[in-house]
Amino acid sequence: MGANIYRNKKPAFLFLFPAFLFMAVYLYYPFFKNFINSFMEIKQLGSSGSGFNTPWYHNYQEMVRDESVWVSVKNTLLMMLVTLIGQVGIAIVLALMVDNVRRGKQFFKTVFFFPIVISATALGLLFNLLFLYDKGMVNQILEALGRETLIDWKAEGTALFTMMLPVMWQYVGFYFVILITGLNSISDELYESAKIDGATTLQKVRYISLPLLHNVICTCSVLAVTGALKVFDLPWTMFPKGMPLKSTFLTGTYMYYHTMETKNVDYASALAVMIVILGIILSKAVNMIFREKDY
Amino acid sequence: MKKRIVSLMLAGVMILSMAACGNSSGKSGDTAKSVELAVTTTFAGEDTNAQNYKDAYTAWEKETGNTVVDTSATSDETFKARITTDFETGSEPDVLFFFNGADANSFIEAGKVVSIDDIRAEYPEYAGNMNDDLIAPSLVDGKKYAVPVNGFWEAMFVNMEVLDAAGVSMPDGNYTMEQFKADCEKIKAAGYAPIAAALGNIPHYWWEFAIFNHQSPKTHLEIPAGVDDANGQAWVAGMNDIKELYELGYFPENTLSATDDETFAMFTDGKAAFLIDGSWKVGGIVGACQSDPEDPSTLDEEKLDKFDVTYVPGSGDRKASDLVGGISMGYYITKKAWEDADKRAAAVSFVEYMTSDSVIPAFAQHAASALKNAPEVDESEFNILQVKAMRMMAGATSLTGAAQDLFQGECRVSTFDGMPEIVTGKVSAEDAVAEGLEVYHNQ
Repeated sequence: MGANIYRNKKPAFLFLFPAFLFMAVYLYYPFFKNFINSFMEIKQLGSSGSGFNTPWYHNYQEMVRDESVWVSVKNTLLMMLVTLIGQVGIAIVLALMVDNVRRGKQFFKTVFFFPIVISATALGLLFNLLFLYDKGMVNQILEALGRETLIDWKAEGTALFTMMLPVMWQYVGFYFVILITGLNSISDELYESAKIDGATTLQKVRYISLPLLHNVICTCSVLAVTGALKVFDLPWTMFPKGMPLKSTFLTGTYMYYHTMETKNVDYASALAVMIVILGIILSKAVNMIFREKDY
Repeated sequence: MKKRIVSLMLAGVMILSMAACGNSSGKSGDTAKSVELAVTTTFAGEDTNAQNYKDAYTAWEKETGNTVVDTSATSDETFKARITTDFETGSEPDVLFFFNGADANSFIEAGKVVSIDDIRAEYPEYAGNMNDDLIAPSLVDGKKYAVPVNGFWEAMFVNMEVLDAAGVSMPDGNYTMEQFKADCEKIKAAGYAPIAAALGNIPHYWWEFAIFNHQSPKTHLEIPAGVDDANGQAWVAGMNDIKELYELGYFPENTLSATDDETFAMFTDGKAAFLIDGSWKVGGIVGACQSDPEDPSTLDEEKLDKFDVTYVPGSGDRKASDLVGGISMGYYITKKAWEDADKRAAAVSFVEYMTSDSVIPAFAQHAASALKNAPEVDESEFNILQVKAMRMMAGATSLTGAAQDLFQGECRVSTFDGMPEIVTGKVSAEDAVAEGLEVYHNQ
């Protein structure tokens, strides 16, 4: 009688059903509908499709020809690289340094984690003010240091740097906290033994910390790369409509641009399908590259 | 036995509830005249008339005993999308204050709103205080649906401090593009940006007037059939004019990467001389002259006096005093409310009240209205910039609607969002206009 309780899986399905229903209604159905919409002709935002495009795959044809699509994909891939090197890389350095300080670990944890709790839109507005052409803080500092002309940080040559810097800065603390937790789980005995053997600090990092952090670094890398695909609010706040000259579009901002600005909803739906496919491919690739090791 | 007692008690409660329901129905029958009206407008957020609207509908509620369920929101693309979806899903409001141009096409095509003529068949006095010639007809069927409140105009704001520093005199109604370019050269030489405009963000006003300068008030609202016809070539010439001004360095250095807010701040901070914008910008300039933008009592009147408003330089058949403007929004009564016997009268009463001779002046202020008997304006009630705006409007020789109100959606992309590509020569004006027109005619 007692064993039957565990054999009967029906109650488990019953409890899983509400969550499944929620996902089906609010995720899978909209995605399926979006897929259909990508072949339809939709005249404006909020209205339903008036029929299929001619040819029905027109939006996908258009996507291949659209230069801004390629710009947005290129920028998104660049954003991934920046998040990997900038976010995870800097977080590793910070975590290793903070792990070696005797006092104030908690202080640094709080300071580095703080940007995470600020909304991306607020950060976008903040960095907008920092990089403002006229009266922006950065240009004011440069002016005080003797520079005579103002730098347009949002011009074509510098826009990507200006856009990616705050994104990178915002999430360093997130990976820092994960990594420092990983470092804390490494037994002190290993470091003590290494010390007795005469290992320097750098050698301890090279031969103890980094190898034992491998799986944590892999997890952070997967999170960073997949997170880069979803970056939207901060870039859109700082560079609406892919300004300047449509050079700062990411896949997410480009889809939003076509939904809300040009009202080309069916094309935006096709872009959304592309983003999902791109996300699946990249996630698989990243999971393969950063495969965790069994110890 | 216990079960029987409980059953009896439940039955008793049910009977009492039914009796209570019966009583409440009776009461609602007694107050059948009190109606709850769902109203959606754009008088919300930072709209200068948001408070006027609240005051007006509260007064109407007191007067009639009806209730307004207000779902107003700031006028933006999300709002427009919400209205479209509401009509498609049958959850539209009873009364709607909305655009009367292409944005309204979908619900007019679907027959979801009632025309003014149909309402007048039952309520002959409806919108009787309006000059019918100033009520814009629908682009779908030419019928008039929206009862207007206040109009708009577009003109050129001037920072007099910059003009004085550059030795340039205040432009008048005969201002030409050639004079404008000469003035811009002087202003640029004096170290200021002649034109405050973010071409990468809001090129709309320059787009409108640059095209208008190659047309006339009669032809401005004709969307070209193609890039090769006379109007099409006027559009191309307009785009090339903006390109020329860009190449001459009359726009701010960061015009392609700046937002509209940034270039507006340049104008109010005395770093740029001219700003083409709409009547709604009067409030923005006044706000910039207040130490607390929320508190009108903190207005620096001396600073405000340094701003003026004049005509956009003219060319060809368009005189500078030929303005772009009109009445682009109004109150619609939806078919849903019209077919509801209780709501029909309330909806008509609401619109009549909100568009009455006593309510409209508070909304219209220095902008136009469609009232037959425009009330006398007491200048002492307005700030100096509003007074200057009224004087400028008094000298207008014509008021023509905005062509971009007819040219909406995806067709705009190549010449609005594509303006940076046009002025930098990455795309020719001819190609950009041709692409936009092709999309427009396929929409």
